Amino acid sequence: MADSLFYIFAFFTVACAVGVVANRNAVNGAMCLMLCLMGIAGLFVLLDAYLLAALLVLVYAGAVVALFLFIVMLLDMQGGVKRPFKKMTAVASLASLGLMLVGVSMLGSRGHLATLPSPAAAAAPVGAVLKNYAELLFTTYLLPVQVMGFLLLIAMLGVIVLSKKFEGMEDIK
Amino acid sequence: MTPDYAGLFSALRPEISLVLGALLVLGLDLTLYRRHSPGGRLQLALWVGSLALLTAGFQVWRAEPGTVFGGVLIIDQLAMASRLGVLGLTLLTFGITQGSPARRQPAEYVAIMLLAASGLLLMAAAQQLLLAFLALELASLSLYVLAGFDRTRPESAEAGLKYFLFGGMAAAFLLFGFSLVYGATGSVELTEIARQIAAQGSNPLLVVGLVMVLVAFGFKVAAAPFHLWAPDVYQGAPAPSAALIASASKLAGFTLFTRLLWPAFGAAAGSATWLNSGAGWFRAVAALAAVSLVLGNVAALAQTSLRRLLAYSAIAHAGALLLGVLAVGSAGPGPLFYYALTYGLATVGAFGVIAVMETAGRCERITDLAGLHRRSPLLAGCLAIFILSLAGIPPLAGFFGKLTVFSAALHAGGIRSPAGGLAVLAIALSAVALYYYLMVLKQALVAGPADGAPPIKVPRAATLALVTAAALIVWFGMNPSALLGLF
Repeated sequence: MADSLFYIFAFFTVACAVGVVANRNAVNGAMCLMLCLMGIAGLFVLLDAYLLAALLVLVYAGAVVALFLFIVMLLDMQGGVKRPFKKMTAVASLASLGLMLVGVSMLGSRGHLATLPSPAAAAAPVGAVLKNYAELLFTTYLLPVQVMGFLLLIAMLGVIVLSKKFEGMEDIK
Repeated sequence: MTPDYAGLFSALRPEISLVLGALLVLGLDLTLYRRHSPGGRLQLALWVGSLALLTAGFQVWRAEPGTVFGGVLIIDQLAMASRLGVLGLTLLTFGITQGSPARRQPAEYVAIMLLAASGLLLMAAAQQLLLAFLALELASLSLYVLAGFDRTRPESAEAGLKYFLFGGMAAAFLLFGFSLVYGATGSVELTEIARQIAAQGSNPLLVVGLVMVLVAFGFKVAAAPFHLWAPDVYQGAPAPSAALIASASKLAGFTLFTRLLWPAFGAAAGSATWLNSGAGWFRAVAALAAVSLVLGNVAALAQTSLRRLLAYSAIAHAGALLLGVLAVGSAGPGPLFYYALTYGLATVGAFGVIAVMETAGRCERITDLAGLHRRSPLLAGCLAIFILSLAGIPPLAGFFGKLTVFSAALHAGGIRSPAGGLAVLAIALSAVALYYYLMVLKQALVAGPADGAPPIKVPRAATLALVTAAALIVWFGMNPSALLGLF
């Protein structure tokens, strides 16, 4: 049961991710992104990480994608003109396809995917309970969380620096 | 585990002083110095920033060696030396900033440089995948902003955007690679990863993860074929930003790369000989080094822009540094660190000369250097030292950097091993490099000045930075054991 559910969600997620890239209309792309995140949330639920699943839906599917949609509609972005087909594109896609086939066949012949050890599966699902999750954030992963805060500070500073307007000075567009 | 918050705090004192310094710079600029001229605001920001850097340097010096907070950070010789190197190179960049053309929002520029330095410090000491990724992003995000800072020139915007797009792609690769490594080993701690790899050997998941990590680091250190951003960024970014990207960021990047490859993935290195066909990252890194060496040196021959020439020479030097990474297993991190630091000093100096010349006029093409010895003997003399060090002429530090790295690579497996063959290739390409470096010096030292080119006045702080960098290069060249003896 869990296995087939995993495949359903995984296929759904990948299909939606392809939709994000392939869609010419930005609004449809953002919608696909939201569905993709829903699929990932489903995968998290299968891993017993209920909290992460809820956070993903609330923060990403709820807030971030809504913001995307808002900006896309505000800027009134339409799908650009279809780019002309170039020979280079075909060569590049053929080359990458060939490389990928070589990689997959090498993995298949030389690797031993069947006997893959999965220590992650043996670990207790610490992320399932809010208390464990919070405890980890304040002990083991305290430093990464703090650094994340400074990352946001820099991002904010960068946005201000790069977009502030000055009176009487010409900017390049 | 009982978390040791006090230990974490005391180990992070250098980063904390840098971040406090950045906030102080911004705060003072927004309150007391609000109505001053841009020059005065830059002056104050640089003073406060330098003070923060010196405080951080003092804290790094006094830090106790050992692991911190359950192995998140490690303070060893390499981390300490690399952190001091990053702080020193950032301080020199501050001196150059004083001499470069004036720009808007001077305080923000200095503050972002300080935040970038704090990210680089974390990178040099990180011992956990999560922190390594975040530290790298902390530094990269600041560097993207610094590259696109000059909003009056389209080239700067292009540099910022290109760096950001390529960097975002590399970050995605790194995160994907790290998550696969985590999936294969079940841990984000480097020591635990090393234990798992030694126990279970290589598996496909780990190999794919490793390849992705290599791609991301190849981007970070501008190794071919992931170098495409480097020429445009070096050309378009403001000179001090380019100096920071080329020097301190490379030093910290190589420190982190070494720490990931040898202590963590050391068991997956594969064999260092041609015949034995054990898979591992050793040969992938060797291939990166070979491509970078050839492409960097050959493409640099065709450049007419001084900054693009420096960019391609940076790609070639990245190849030599990757060779140093390969030699870490047998010779320790000493040669790599020596090369990275002295290369950083010479690059900061070269960009410093460009910055000062841009204040006085144009400095885009190599021919714009013509008559520099008449216009400013000081600049010409310093440039000669930097360029000759990059070319690897004794007795300057660049020569001993090359000597130690190449001899370590030859010792690693003999001349018939990949590392030894690469060392021979690198020595041959050094002769090619000499040609384009000497073309630059010919313009600066032999060619006469263009009509009406005025003498160049070098600001005091820039003079101090350039002379310090030149003196350090000469001193480290005369006395290489000062750095090599640390390890």
